[in-house]
Amino acid sequence: MNSVLTQLQPSAPHQNRLEEQDELDRTDAASWGSMAGFGNLDRTGGVQGMSIPRVSDPTSFLDMHTDNMSSNPDAKIKIAHGTTTLAFKFQGGVIVAVDSRATAGSYVASGTVKKVIEINKFLLGTMAGGAADCQYWETYLGMQCRLYELRNKERISVAAASKILSNIVYQYKGMGLSMGTMVCGWDKTGPCIFYVDSDGQRLKGDLFSVGSGSTFAYGVLDQGYRWDLTDEEAQELGRRSIIAAGHRDAYSGNTCNLYHVKENGWDFIGNYDVNELWYEYEGKKKAERESQNAAAAAGASPMAVEP
Amino acid sequence: MECAFGITGKDYVLLCSDMAAGRSIIRMKSDENKIKALGPHLAMAYGGEPGDTNNFAEYVERNMRLYHIRNHYPLLPASASAWIRRTLAESIRSRNPYAVNLLLAGYDTTTSKPHLYWIDYLGTKAVVPYAAHGMGVYVSLSTMDKWWFNDMNKREGVEVLKKCIDEVQKRITVHFNFNCILIDKDGIHNINIDSQDPLAELESESKAASGDIVVDAPNSPLDVGVTA
Amino acid sequence: MALYHNQPMAHAQEPTAAPIEHRFNPYSDNGGSILAIAGTDFSVIAGDTRQSEGYNIQTRYARKVWQLTDKAVLATNGFAADGNNFVKRVKQRLEWYEHAHHKPMGLKSIARMIQTMLYGKRFFPYYVYNILGGIEEDGSGAVYSFDPVGSYEREACRAAGAAQSLIQPFLDNQIYFKNQQPEPGSQPFIPGNLPLATVLSLVVDSFTSATERHIEVGDGMEIYIVMARDRTTDDLLGEGKLQKGMEIEELGTLGEGQGERTFLVRQALKRD
Repeated sequence: MNSVLTQLQPSAPHQNRLEEQDELDRTDAASWGSMAGFGNLDRTGGVQGMSIPRVSDPTSFLDMHTDNMSSNPDAKIKIAHGTTTLAFKFQGGVIVAVDSRATAGSYVASGTVKKVIEINKFLLGTMAGGAADCQYWETYLGMQCRLYELRNKERISVAAASKILSNIVYQYKGMGLSMGTMVCGWDKTGPCIFYVDSDGQRLKGDLFSVGSGSTFAYGVLDQGYRWDLTDEEAQELGRRSIIAAGHRDAYSGNTCNLYHVKENGWDFIGNYDVNELWYEYEGKKKAERESQNAAAAAGASPMAVEP
Repeated sequence: MECAFGITGKDYVLLCSDMAAGRSIIRMKSDENKIKALGPHLAMAYGGEPGDTNNFAEYVERNMRLYHIRNHYPLLPASASAWIRRTLAESIRSRNPYAVNLLLAGYDTTTSKPHLYWIDYLGTKAVVPYAAHGMGVYVSLSTMDKWWFNDMNKREGVEVLKKCIDEVQKRITVHFNFNCILIDKDGIHNINIDSQDPLAELESESKAASGDIVVDAPNSPLDVGVTA
Repeated sequence: MALYHNQPMAHAQEPTAAPIEHRFNPYSDNGGSILAIAGTDFSVIAGDTRQSEGYNIQTRYARKVWQLTDKAVLATNGFAADGNNFVKRVKQRLEWYEHAHHKPMGLKSIARMIQTMLYGKRFFPYYVYNILGGIEEDGSGAVYSFDPVGSYEREACRAAGAAQSLIQPFLDNQIYFKNQQPEPGSQPFIPGNLPLATVLSLVVDSFTSATERHIEVGDGMEIYIVMARDRTTDDLLGEGKLQKGMEIEELGTLGEGQGERTFLVRQALKRD
């Protein structure tokens, strides 16, 4: 009845002896065969053998040695961080836009990160927080979604897929996973976005932005958002919001990757250089202002509207 | 940053919760339903640690449903409150406890009495005529102390609730949208607390159905006020 | 359901009986640097050989680059003990795979396997930065870079380790042509198809420069060159192609051999 509580209770001490063996011993014969690719899955597809340090508080151990929770920036093990990602629903589907910068401390560890994870032809996941956490669990989610398809002869809904993910990360709550992801897709109910994070929170919504630059992205996104945006307008809004965040947030930038989810699956729209686009936008803004000033100087009243 | 109220009246109980959801200073949603129907005459408003809240609420929901299926009658409010309290009390003594506070509201169909329970994450339970969790505690408990009285009718109850919400909007810096339900002998009803007359819809409904009291089939689906 | 078949955290739920525990610190940083560059039909993976802890040089020859298969070479950097153990485990898994499937594991599969192996220790990480180089199934040169807990990406080049922040900007400039402007009228730069000779001299320059400016880099370097099948080796083995002081050796095939060839070039670095 209360499966959650059973998990909360400590396991019997004699079971513990098995866990003390090296993780190598625990790898069973299944890993010789086709399961060998996905390292820590057992024959049933469940996750096994996540090794944990034999200390009284594994969480604080991880905290001490990694900069995972940003509470320990000097830690040796730097895990890639910092992001702007956004996704929104509109009349024409779902727009997903992300930046491509990964930082370790103040060092730009990579400027070419793929923060949109293509779970399958109809599902996208975004990546914010720990790069490995997102990459690994969303890949795993892709496997679970495929198994669902094979078992049920129909595609999984976005709601169900996102719930698989949130159930997984909720199991690890407090252990130091760090992810803020948007699971986006198109199912029987139409376009759909779920926000899932490592707290175990799972929210359905029309518009989300996640990451250190999300506040700046919201600032542009909220002001330009309408349900009846055209495809081009929506793509431009997504792109413009990421550029704005890349400009203001030092932990975000490099390039913007843009995806559009439609009824027949997602399309990759393009990759755009944040820096170049920013100057393009500035140039346009300046040109518009000058033409307005010119019109005003030409004798028209300042309030005149062009015909 | 959350806020929930519960108010009992003569033959009904009101439950009201904000609809904000987000991370730190960012509000990611302002239409999240944080009230869950647990049975034909039972519902709870919950808040606390993100992730824990939903997980715990669903855990309770399913256990209440299971009880209903096994026994062909739902758990009465008093028993449900005891089970929930105990679950939280066991949880707080475990390795990773649920940090969830809740208001449990129900209507006891056997005695025709409304019930309201204030429960916190430590496993504290109080039987109360009116209660608040979150920001509402600071400004609206006194409002309820002053305006609440025994055996209020529905209009009077809704007036008190409106006063509480008005006080929160006035004195708390964050803005909330509110979601509200009413539980009476006929079950759970959604109430639009922002409308001019929140009870108008409910009253026209009951007028149409007067005479024949609808009795729920033992295993009727609990789809009232459930989040999509 | 499969997901909950094993309770992954069951053993994490109860504390180890350990009354006294002063900061359990199983990690150290052994310095050094590694880098890898992919060409169209070859891949170069290199590392220095100094191993140090703080200001103390433990050894002037410790390997950081390892041949895994005929078309895959792995470089590790960070905590040497973890690195060595990790390579050992990877090699073991590769052997098992070969027994089960009667063929060596492909490069992109090795990359995915490394991800899962690293992530398997997500809560007790290997303090190792990995760079995997080699030849892809389609014969193209490839480089995969990893963080300690397994996030990875295919790239054209990558530097890691102590001198990462010295070498990577240089590589960005020379390989991705970042912040370079082609001369007016001349061909635009196309990243990713530099000749082997150019790549080799970039590798050598990276390490000699890093040796000058970083105390943890030096002593010697090992450069592994993996060549696609049927590729000419004249640009490596031809007369006068190697710089002064370089020693070259061809590493024999590990498996049945599908024509990929791996060469190891060694060169001394300053030892001060």
